[in-house]
Amino acid sequence: MLLIFKRLWQVNWAEQWQYRANLFMYIFYWLVSPIIYLAVWTSIANANGSVSGLTANDFITYYMILLICDQLTSNIILHLFAYKVQDGTLSSELIRPIHPMLTNTLTNDIAFKTLNMIFLTPIWIVLALLFKPDFASVSINGILLAIPALLLGYAINFLLSGTITSLAFWTTRVFSIHEFYYAMILLFAGQFVPLKLMPELIQNIAKFLPFQLFMYLPIQMIQGNLSSTEIMQGYTAGAAWFVVALVLFRWVWRAGVKRYSAVGA
Amino acid sequence: MYFFKLISTLFKVNVQMAVAYRTDAVVNIMLNLMWLGWELLGLSIIFSNTQTLGGWGFGELLALLGIFKIVHTMMMTLVWPNTEKFNLAIRDGSMDYTILQPVSSMFLVTFSRLNIWRLWDLPVAAILIIIGINRAGDVTTPLSILYFFLLTACGAVVIYSLWIVMIAFTFYFTKFDNNVTLLQALLDAGRYPVSVYPPWLQVIVTFIIPIAIATTIPVRGLRQDLSHAQVFMFIGIAIASFIVASQIWKAGLKKYSGASS
Repeated sequence: MLLIFKRLWQVNWAEQWQYRANLFMYIFYWLVSPIIYLAVWTSIANANGSVSGLTANDFITYYMILLICDQLTSNIILHLFAYKVQDGTLSSELIRPIHPMLTNTLTNDIAFKTLNMIFLTPIWIVLALLFKPDFASVSINGILLAIPALLLGYAINFLLSGTITSLAFWTTRVFSIHEFYYAMILLFAGQFVPLKLMPELIQNIAKFLPFQLFMYLPIQMIQGNLSSTEIMQGYTAGAAWFVVALVLFRWVWRAGVKRYSAVGA
Repeated sequence: MYFFKLISTLFKVNVQMAVAYRTDAVVNIMLNLMWLGWELLGLSIIFSNTQTLGGWGFGELLALLGIFKIVHTMMMTLVWPNTEKFNLAIRDGSMDYTILQPVSSMFLVTFSRLNIWRLWDLPVAAILIIIGINRAGDVTTPLSILYFFLLTACGAVVIYSLWIVMIAFTFYFTKFDNNVTLLQALLDAGRYPVSVYPPWLQVIVTFIIPIAIATTIPVRGLRQDLSHAQVFMFIGIAIASFIVASQIWKAGLKKYSGASS
């Protein structure tokens, strides 16, 4: 199995490496909205002194850490996989004795992520020089605590995106369905604003959803803002959602593959 | 007159193509409603924490959101579908047929495809602008509302011209598929007044990719932040950028030599 992953990695890494110019545009595209939110909230914090106890520096560090967390927990499965169902190229992958999505697509996504991180690092340093964040609240303990949360976040996001992508077996409108999913992340993951500033109702719903594990919880752990009970709650909800996402994914995938009849067959 | 006839014909063709996909209409309306709800929630969160953003009140930001939606609709209905078609036409040579037609090639390339269902956002934008102007209330006069509409039109012309320049580059470098990604990426910056951004970002969105001219400037006209001279300057900028863009298009077209030769 390890050998399979090694080979898949070599192929997918080489494939992703071809599209360096596109990658640069992608990163640029993806960077703009966090930077806009950063600018909006620091300007509000500067004008009013602070926003619900958060200073301008808190917002700057929040969004600087968010850039990394978002990059680590997000995925591009939809773009890697949905077209294969629609044009029938999935057939050749289905006859292999390995799970197409959990091996090939997974390594391709990780290759893409690795390359992204390589591009992002210098850009991140330039941004840090421009915004001058003070990372005094960040501790090694916080970072160590956040690593399992980021892994769990990536796993849950991967399985849920995989489930939505598998809907391509039934409909050609997966991109629209995924747009709803993306809006949920925007709302409940703390991308627009730290969840703390959201209306009470949304905060309470977010506690029972997996999305805050993608960005908000890891960022708060790195910043050292959570009590140990809050951390436990976050991890428990995350573990429960991981099981739910796994069951859901396996169920939809199986039903989908049964329905699949390649184009032209 | 001739151009109006042409536009209405192209419009009819595109409506016919669109009604073949009626479910898409429902899906698009639902997505648009969702994003509208999201945008209003975002604004209300911002204004529950502050009185003004970059010196602007809630009503002015609603009007800004309306203009942003107009520019966004322009991207979705016009820029993306036509760019996609154009990039393909350059690569496979079907651009030949467009040039053969006895109409301005720039016009045909930029108006032949319309993503009809996305136009639904325009009435929403109009409602947002009307409510926004009403809530901004005391700062508006009939003249400032006239300036607002003039400057909105100017902004659309500037974005259109920039788009022409970007796709004209495809004549020089055949493989230039990312020609409008840059524009789309920075578009989001148009949701908020430029004054909240750090100076380097202000320079980018004002001078390099002038999203701010299309969004912030009309609202500044509405607030009477601009002198009459400045308003005429922006009208001048719009006309000049259109002339420059069409010259670049003509020069680029001379470079085109078909796909096989």
